[in-house]
Amino acid sequence: MKIETKGRLSFRGGSHPAENKNLTEDSKIYPGPTVKEVAVMLSQHIGAACQPLVRKGNMVQAGQKIGDSDAFVSAPVHSPINGKVKEIALRSHAVLGRSEAIVIEAYQYTPTRRSYFKLRDDFDENNYSAEEICDAVRQAGIVGMGGAGFPTRVKIEPNPRLPKETLIINGCECEPYITCDYRIMVEWTSQIIAGIKLARKASGCSRVFIGIEDNKPRAIEAMGAAVSGDDIKVVPVKTKYPQGGERQLINAILKRHVPTGGIPPMIGVVVLNIATAAAIAETVVGDLPLTHRVVTVTGEGVRNPGNFYVPIGTSVAELIEFCGGLRNEAVRVILGGPMMGTAIADLTTPITKTTGAITVLTEKQIGKAKFAGRQTACLRCGRCLEVCPENLNPTKIAHAVKNNLLDVAESYYISACMECGCCSYVCPANIEVTGYIKTGKTLLAQLKA
Amino acid sequence: MPDNITVSPAPHISEPVWTHRVMIDVLIGLVPAMAAAGYYFRLYALILICTCVISSVVTEWLCNLICKKPNSLGDFSAVVTGVILALSLPPGLPIWAAVIGSVFSIAIGKMVFGGLGSNIFNPAMVGRAFLTASFGMMMTTWTVPATIDSTMPRIAPENMLHARTQATPLGWSKIAIKDRNGAKIFNDEQFEATLIGEVGGCLGETSAIALLIGGLYLLIRRTINFHIPLAVLLSAFVFGSIAYLIDPDAYMQPVFHLTSGGMLLCAFFIATDPVTAPLTRRGMWIFGAGVGTITMLIRIVGAYPEGVMFSVLLMNAVTPLIDRLCKRVPAGGKPGV
Repeated sequence: MKIETKGRLSFRGGSHPAENKNLTEDSKIYPGPTVKEVAVMLSQHIGAACQPLVRKGNMVQAGQKIGDSDAFVSAPVHSPINGKVKEIALRSHAVLGRSEAIVIEAYQYTPTRRSYFKLRDDFDENNYSAEEICDAVRQAGIVGMGGAGFPTRVKIEPNPRLPKETLIINGCECEPYITCDYRIMVEWTSQIIAGIKLARKASGCSRVFIGIEDNKPRAIEAMGAAVSGDDIKVVPVKTKYPQGGERQLINAILKRHVPTGGIPPMIGVVVLNIATAAAIAETVVGDLPLTHRVVTVTGEGVRNPGNFYVPIGTSVAELIEFCGGLRNEAVRVILGGPMMGTAIADLTTPITKTTGAITVLTEKQIGKAKFAGRQTACLRCGRCLEVCPENLNPTKIAHAVKNNLLDVAESYYISACMECGCCSYVCPANIEVTGYIKTGKTLLAQLKA
Repeated sequence: MPDNITVSPAPHISEPVWTHRVMIDVLIGLVPAMAAAGYYFRLYALILICTCVISSVVTEWLCNLICKKPNSLGDFSAVVTGVILALSLPPGLPIWAAVIGSVFSIAIGKMVFGGLGSNIFNPAMVGRAFLTASFGMMMTTWTVPATIDSTMPRIAPENMLHARTQATPLGWSKIAIKDRNGAKIFNDEQFEATLIGEVGGCLGETSAIALLIGGLYLLIRRTINFHIPLAVLLSAFVFGSIAYLIDPDAYMQPVFHLTSGGMLLCAFFIATDPVTAPLTRRGMWIFGAGVGTITMLIRIVGAYPEGVMFSVLLMNAVTPLIDRLCKRVPAGGKPGV
């Protein structure tokens, strides 16, 4: 059977940044560097931060739980390596600023690499009960690995008030440069399918869709072939940023909108990222907690880009060094992709569960005018309104924030913005529209606190 | 840490379209109209366009200098204002009047509000309104295109001649309403003349084909949206049709109103000025319909033969209100409903 790889489904708005995935899309997932030290953040997810379960000087083993919390919305953290707790200290975090981390020094002679998980041929999701799966997911500390980091157990656990019927697996990977999910789909196909089946079992969903942007025909073919005969549908969707936003993907596939300020379960939907699905299979079948993940190190500013399976807690500097180091032209190091990622100044920042990529850009990619921060006045050209996937009025919100009129910003629904960055991307005047909106949200949060 | 690593808010990349590129696109879109102006009005066109552009640019430079603001000529908006003003002036206007118009356009129409992006009214139309109010006679004295009469005689309202060399098509239409002979005056030959531009009128408004080509370029380049031009033309057509259906003897056919006067120049280049038009699509429809309707009201029942300038300025004034009226609703509906 021929698998259709052209996607017609989409949402309204969006933009088309240069994909630049060719840097790493053909490089196989390769084991990362042998680390001497990792810093495991105590807060790598949305929800309550973990309390450390170990003290300075304790010996820890790979896979040992080292931080946990009693809160419902939280996820424990585990040590990725065998070693000794060096200290519990502050480390830079992409979003939270300085934040507590458990620093572990590796034993000299123990391997710190974890070999890839292999799914056995006789896998059957019916050998596991829904409770078992949910419990394993919670214990393994699995969170949404696409970027938001929402604890997965909370997502997939059945909730009588918001029954779930549709499971959508997000394989869009719409951010430019990033290829980690693509490589997982191509290389670890059966593992993802196993994870999807487990998630379906746990959540009780009856329908499953796998949304993949049509610029990844090989992934669509691989996944399509793997699910043939199953009740899982691979849906090619249009290549457009931000197709991988969960609200946009739901809209593209189901033609339904998640209510503003609401969450997907309100319309009976659960969305899981590809890497998350793979992690669920590792955990439930292989009994391995979430301690490693695939990270794409890419961009024109790094010498040997690639996709690596690395221990969570590895520092950015170490990974970049492993990839041949920075080129002289490199001017920006981003955790994540160029559209939504956070630029970091401190390269000792550790990788967290949600770090899918390290993108290093040069001045050429950023653009001379943008790099210099040259802005002109808003022309009211309306391009930002056209691309806004949430149908907002970005320029009005940004200018309200700029003039400190937070009530006006709220009347233009500032909180409905998901900060995809399309408005700043298309702005001919180079205004940091998204930046202003983010500032406005922070100010509002402070005001309400 | 390496010294040259910098940080900034996401996104870290940007589409390679800058403000000056948008303005240059508008200028390219105006090239056919400028060429047509040059063909029909020869030296007058060259002199007027150059005068307006140079005086606009110099005025903006001086304003920035006086206000100690950074030089903003790089965005090319002064050039665009100059060209649009020139194209909306009568060909034979004296140079000094064109200079006054340009200075007023830039200084009072744009710079006093804070420069590009802050002005309420379309700067070129502000300058033109000032000239109309101050030098009414000069602003209604028309030149016969060089392709009809190479001596290019001037025609003022009081010495209007017969059909082909008469003032402007809209001038005939106004007289036709009085004499109730509109249908007789407007024939295929006249229609063709308004298409190619062999009629009297403002420098850049005579050739409908040149304006359509330029407008199409802007639409294809996505420099402008189709909403405003379509709304302007559609509403003018509907209003013209109503008048024509009521009294076909007195009023011209609706198509005539689209191809003659400043209707096309307005629909594609003046009303679409993003700074002074609404942001939302619904707002654009209302704005465009307002411009088209007011223009037709002035042309059919008003005292002036042409109403583009007034209608654009009037609708500019209500643009903030339209924007407030037509708020966008988030994709997921209003929160908490």
